[in-house]
Amino acid sequence: MTKRAFRGLFICAVAGGLLLRVAGLGLRPMHHDEANQAVKFIDLLERGEYRYDPGNHHGPSLYYLTLPFAVAASGHSGAALSETTLRLVPALFGVGAIALLLLLAGGLSRESILFAGLLAAISPVMSYYSRFYIQESLLVFFLAGLVGAGWRYVRTRSGWWAAGAGFAAGMMFATKETSLILFAAVAAALGLERALRPKETGNPGAGAPPAVPASRPRLRAALHGALFLVAALVPAALLYTSFLRNPGGLADSVLAFGSYIGKAAGGGLHAHPWYYYVKLLAYSRFGHGPAWSEAFVLALALAGSVSALGTDSGKDGNPRFVRFIVFFTIVSAAVYSAIPYKTPWNVLPFYLGVLILAGIGAGLMWRAGRFLIVKAVVLSVLIPGMANLAYQDYRANFQDYANPDNPYVYAQTGTDFMRLVRTVEGVASASRQGRSILVKVVAPPDETWPLPWYLRGFARVGYWTEGAAAGKLEDASIVVTSAAESEAAVRELGERYQMSFYGLRPEVVLALFVRQDLWQAFIDGGGASGRGRTGRER
Amino acid sequence: MRRTVFAFSVAILAAALVPPSPAGARQEAKEVLKIQLPKPMFIGTPRNIRTPNLEPITGRARGPFMVPVGTVLLSGGKPVTASDKEPVIGELSFVTDGQKSGEDGYYVELGPGTQWVQIDLGKSQALSAIVVWHYHSQARVYRDFIVQVSDDKDSINGVTTLFNNDHDNSAGLGAGKDKEYIETYDGKLVDGRGVSARYVRLYSGGNTSNDMNHYVEVEVYGLPAK
Repeated sequence: MTKRAFRGLFICAVAGGLLLRVAGLGLRPMHHDEANQAVKFIDLLERGEYRYDPGNHHGPSLYYLTLPFAVAASGHSGAALSETTLRLVPALFGVGAIALLLLLAGGLSRESILFAGLLAAISPVMSYYSRFYIQESLLVFFLAGLVGAGWRYVRTRSGWWAAGAGFAAGMMFATKETSLILFAAVAAALGLERALRPKETGNPGAGAPPAVPASRPRLRAALHGALFLVAALVPAALLYTSFLRNPGGLADSVLAFGSYIGKAAGGGLHAHPWYYYVKLLAYSRFGHGPAWSEAFVLALALAGSVSALGTDSGKDGNPRFVRFIVFFTIVSAAVYSAIPYKTPWNVLPFYLGVLILAGIGAGLMWRAGRFLIVKAVVLSVLIPGMANLAYQDYRANFQDYANPDNPYVYAQTGTDFMRLVRTVEGVASASRQGRSILVKVVAPPDETWPLPWYLRGFARVGYWTEGAAAGKLEDASIVVTSAAESEAAVRELGERYQMSFYGLRPEVVLALFVRQDLWQAFIDGGGASGRGRTGRER
Repeated sequence: MRRTVFAFSVAILAAALVPPSPAGARQEAKEVLKIQLPKPMFIGTPRNIRTPNLEPITGRARGPFMVPVGTVLLSGGKPVTASDKEPVIGELSFVTDGQKSGEDGYYVELGPGTQWVQIDLGKSQALSAIVVWHYHSQARVYRDFIVQVSDDKDSINGVTTLFNNDHDNSAGLGAGKDKEYIETYDGKLVDGRGVSARYVRLYSGGNTSNDMNHYVEVEVYGLPAK
């Protein structure tokens, strides 16, 4: 493949990835976790307050990196902030992770980088969670940065790349404390690559990095090591300590790993069998819904892994690097699979390795076809496989984004919930108080979110987990309760309030009570016209 | 300085001239009481639910419902028609086949928006009760649920509405005052009030989980025509 063709096609891959990640970012209702993050971010946006919480929300990088986007889009007002602005941040980092594959040049052939980029761009799981206001796509971006900069350092021995790799590692830690798993996987992969390196006979240059200087002064290596550590420590320390305003934050971030180990080992609500991630990616079908599968990527990755056994990694590839990727992917996937606690977005960091291996596999197939007829056969496999992935990507993000039949939809807020939001807004508009209307929410925390995000523009909203603590419900013109609390609310509010139910998530229903006069004003103002819904759900 | 002295003097003068308030009725400046409302509690990712829930989420078991002696099931195996001629899932015959399991394969799914199913009882009979199971393997609420009975196949003339919870009249059949309810394996019992009718038509307009309309079973009880 010529350089020119590679450049053109890689730009197309990045542009495609960008389109699939940033189009229609406001379509999907905010997930419980996204709303948690968003409301926490509003404290930083409006009051400049951020304090690392070792029990919740992971690292601070997401919030600080959102700040410039949010200020540019809506100033310092949380009410003016939109889902699109928030989600733009992880989406752009998701695209950035694709672009960072370019750093792997020399380790992978051009074809492999291109195919890895194309597959990462259209992978449904990658794009779906890049559109979530959570830390995962940032973690993948900085992981790609660590591996890419690390590889550049191996090739150049430049202090700049050592610092770059350190910065990426520091940002990984500032994104998620559990990045320690990935650091361990990188270290294990380096060790395994070294331990299992085949003895070089005959052609000493075949497996070695081409640009490694002959001499390795220990002092320079130590200096670069120190540079790596400083570059890692500085951003992590600054972010975890809220720029030195919370000095204990950094220590908390390390101590938090202990509590995360406890949570991960127990699994709790998210305990899944060891094969959960493989099954999620290989094949999913729920009820009468369509089948979902990224088995095409897994098969290509298997082919790519096989290539690590040999020395052919393409004209400009490096078998040692390929082996490193294989070991990293196996170790990280094994660790994530062994941990009982599993959520589907945790697949992303090791799936980056799978995608790179799939790129290698596709590159291998491409190079194998020296004759036009063989190339045509290869293309007849690759093109439909990639088209199918792209179609699933479209379905996941623009059609079935809240449909439980979509395997990546996990504890996702349903589209019906948006009717509740529209009704509350409509009733507030129909009242004289507008957004100063008193709203009481009585529901357990797991049945409350993402309501606090959607009611952020309301001046008087109170949240209680039990009705007894909320005082007189009739003080409020609008009351939202969980289904369990709705019976007591009906007894208290009686016929003076109009009750209607709305779905929050599958199996979770919320009850909305609106004072009859306001309900009538809302209906008279055409309240029911806002019934339109988008997206398919089972 | 002069201004300050002047203002001070006026203030003292005003204080001296204004009569004191009667005891117990002090006129004080007032302001809105600012109450700090509780913030929402942060909590981790909630449970992802895909498994059926056959237990009622709220409410108690339905008490006994009294019907005239001699009441029997009138709808078993009776023909069913619907606004959606080609159901997305299942067959219209599922509505009266006597199978009430909540699992897949026992319900019929009609398209999105307002849809109806109609049971033809064969002849006009006095209705005691209608029990409806829309979809009880998940806690959800069906919207704009309306039950109308008549002797008119097209449900235009002589229609009696037995139940209507379309409180915003989005189905266009008139606003109803009945309550919405969460689906359970108990089904929803609608009082037949002894109305004589041959056709029983049930409307719904999607549910809290999706836009589709489902029926596992509908049972119509009444006194058979002699």
